[in-house]
This record gives sequence, C-alpha cells and structure tokens, in this order.
Amino acid sequence: MGAERNSSRPARILITGATSGIGLALVRRHAPKARVLAGGRRAAADAHGVLPDGVSYVQADQREPERAVAAILGGLDELGWDGLDLAILNAGIGHAVDPAEETPSMLRDVLDTNLFAAIALAQALLARLEAGQGRLVLIGSTAHKGAPGFASYAAAKAGLHGFARALSEEWKGRVAVQVIHPGPTDTGMHARAGHDPGRVARLFARTETMARLIDRLIAGGRTVETISFARFLGRGQGGR
Amino acid sequence: MRTALVTGGSAGLGRAMVERLLARGWRVVSVDRDEGPREPNMEHVACDLSDRSEVDALPARLGALAPFHLAVFNAGVSATGRFEAIPLDAYRRLMTVNAETPMILAAELVRSGHLAGPICFVSSLSHFTGYPGAVVYAASKDALAIYARSVRKPFARRGVSVTLACPGPLRTAHAERHAPPGADAARRMAPDIAARIILDATFAGRRLVVPGRTNRLAAIAGALLPGAMMRQMRRLIFERLDRDVW
Repeated sequence: MGAERNSSRPARILITGATSGIGLALVRRHAPKARVLAGGRRAAADAHGVLPDGVSYVQADQREPERAVAAILGGLDELGWDGLDLAILNAGIGHAVDPAEETPSMLRDVLDTNLFAAIALAQALLARLEAGQGRLVLIGSTAHKGAPGFASYAAAKAGLHGFARALSEEWKGRVAVQVIHPGPTDTGMHARAGHDPGRVARLFARTETMARLIDRLIAGGRTVETISFARFLGRGQGGR
Repeated sequence: MRTALVTGGSAGLGRAMVERLLARGWRVVSVDRDEGPREPNMEHVACDLSDRSEVDALPARLGALAPFHLAVFNAGVSATGRFEAIPLDAYRRLMTVNAETPMILAAELVRSGHLAGPICFVSSLSHFTGYPGAVVYAASKDALAIYARSVRKPFARRGVSVTLACPGPLRTAHAERHAPPGADAARRMAPDIAARIILDATFAGRRLVVPGRTNRLAAIAGALLPGAMMRQMRRLIFERLDRDVW
C-alpha cells in the first residue's frame, strides 16, 4: 500500500475532504497504522466527532484555496512534519444544475475547490513531498470526460486530470503524481449536489470499497487510473 | 447588422477573428484589457478578464450592446516554466481568464437570452497532447474544453450551438513569448488562417475543430497514445525551456 514504508516510523499522510465520503473512508483505512492529518470544511469540534481517534485535523475550506493552503501548512508545522509520505487531495463539490442557470459564485466555488485548491496545495507541498520521497494523489472523477448536468464539476475534474498528467511528467524522479478517477460512489455528494440518481444509486460503490480500490491503485503507482462501474463490478465488489 | 462578441480581440488569434468578421460585414464587440487598432463597426469594451469584480460588472455592460449573434471566448494567457517556479497569483489570474471567466460569461449570455447564435470556446491543442512546462495552462484549457463538451446539449436546447476549438501553435506574439528557444516560428500557423477555419466550423455548428493537418495528426496521436505523446511533449517543450515566463 502507498502508505506503508520500509522505514520503521509510521507514514505521514495528509488527506483533504476528510470528514465525509471517500476522504473519510480513506482516513479510516490509514489511521490505524499511519499518522494522518485530515483537512475539511467543518469546524474542528464537529470533525473530531466523525474522525477516528488519534487523527489530527485542520479546518481548511477549499473554496478559498489561498487560505486553505495557509491553514494546512500551519497544521503540518504544528505537527512538526517537514516531510510527507503521501498527500491525497480529495476535497470536491459539485452542483446538479442546468449550466445556463449556474451562477458565478457556484462556478467559482466548484473550480476553486476541485481544481485551484489542488494546484495551490501541490505547489505548497512540493518541498515536504520531496523531503519525504512522498507521493501526490489527486482524486478526480469519471465525470472528467464531460457531464451535461454537472458541467463545471466535469470541467474542474478535467483540469485536474490534465494538471496531474503534465505535472507527473515534470516531477518525474522527484515526486510521484497520480490522478485517480472514482466512478459513482455513495458519498452523499449527489444529494448535496441536488441530484437524485434514482434506482441507479443501488449500484454505487460503497465509500469503503472505493477507498480500498484507491489504496490499491496508489500502490500500483500508475499516473492515471479510472475506477469505472465495470471495474469494481468486475471484481465482485459493487452493490451493497 | 449582425453583432459578434469576441474576447481577447485586441491581438493574436482574437484580432484575426475580429478582422475576418468585420470583413464579412459584422459589427464586432471586442472585450480586452488593452485596446487594439480601431476599426469602423468595432466597439472596444475595456475589461481585465482576470479580475473577478470587473467580470461581475461585464454582463450589464454587454447587455447594452446585445443582442449578439455569435460569441467567441478566445481570451487566454499562459505561464510557461517549471510549475513550482511561477507564483500562485499568476496561476490565479491565468485560471480566471482562461477557464472561469468564459464559463461565467457564456452561462450569463445564454441564460439572459442576449445570445442568439453559436458559441466558440477557444481551448488548445494541449487538450489532446498534454503540456509539461505549462501544467496550469494545460489544466485551464482542459477545463474549458470539457466545459464546452458538457454544455453542448443543454445549450442546444436553448438554440445555442457550441463549438470547441483546439488550435495548435500560432504565429503570434503570445506564442513567441512562451515557446522554447530555437522553436521555428515559420512552422506555426498564421492566425488569420486559423481564424477562418475556426469561424467556419463555428457557423457550421461543428462540435470540434482542430485547425491544420499536422495539428489534427498530433491530436489523434495524443488521443491514441497519451503517455507517449506526453513524453514527447516533455522533450520538445519542458526540457528545452530555459526560463520561467508568466
């Protein structure tokens, strides 16, 4: 697994978007054997109610990327982490909306949270990732090829895809960069986005399943990975 | 007289599109930070498209010049060099100009009904090839390309067709500034040729236009063998860049 290292000390892992959905499932997987700094939008008191014991938390709302970066760097400093073994940038939001009705503030929030915050964090984390011979993992979406009901979300995830592919080439030999695109998962994001997937929702992957597949793909180390419906159904891990 | 809206109409590809539309008898509203050469039937709207508050004020100003029968979202800036060497605020402005602003303006024009005609989003050939040496530029152009693909159907229901243009290197000051040293400008496409091809495709309602045969071959190669094309781009661009430019 990406988080396990040969050295004796436990891995230092940063996970954003960590208080719900796939991010929370990833934190739960890693917390027993690694040191985890979780980032999220919620106030610390709320977040500690859902996070496993021993996990550090920093409130960092990615809708304001510059402030979120400062908060996360502060959290890393507080822990005394001058190196990172793994950063999983997972924070994401989307709106199910007719694109002509999407307001400037909706568009800006979606682009900032899903894309610009990841760009800003990648830049800010480089020194620590290099020091820790770490790995940068960006969580995309299978929507990155286009989605009429989630146009700005698809656009932001497409940006993340192109960013990760090009950056992985630039940082070759320094820091490994991956983008992993999960398919539909029962994260609650659809409901928050104002979208009812209907009966199809019964086929969505459970967040725990998705987190397990993501960890496996991180260990595999390929630059681009997609966890489509077919992929997890093919492994007999779909459904509920 | 039909009216076209062109962003980034003062220079480069945008200017070439403005000239061509004027020659075809259009009235053109050009939105740009700096004013280009003045022409009859052309109106310059000064706006820094990297500034959110200026962008927020723009729809009201454009509304007074509506209706539009064509909108070309062409304005774009680049930032070339090592990703970590370029300041974040430059990336912020780039992302705003290249991705956020065209999406906001397109949604606003379609929702308000001020646009009764096609939209063209100008992305980049980098959408197909990848672009190490300009990773945030690549991200912004990928975002715009997939936005264009995503809104094609919903906008069509409101009578607006959407064309995605992915031009390759052009013989413009912009390309000159960001190309690696020794790159052969003669091999870049003349902007007026690209402008004609892109406008024709937009009026025909085509989904995608990649001007130039060499560029189309590069796009196909990038789609078929993305990893190999990305490594090739690294050798051609990233390894030859000798400076960071934003």
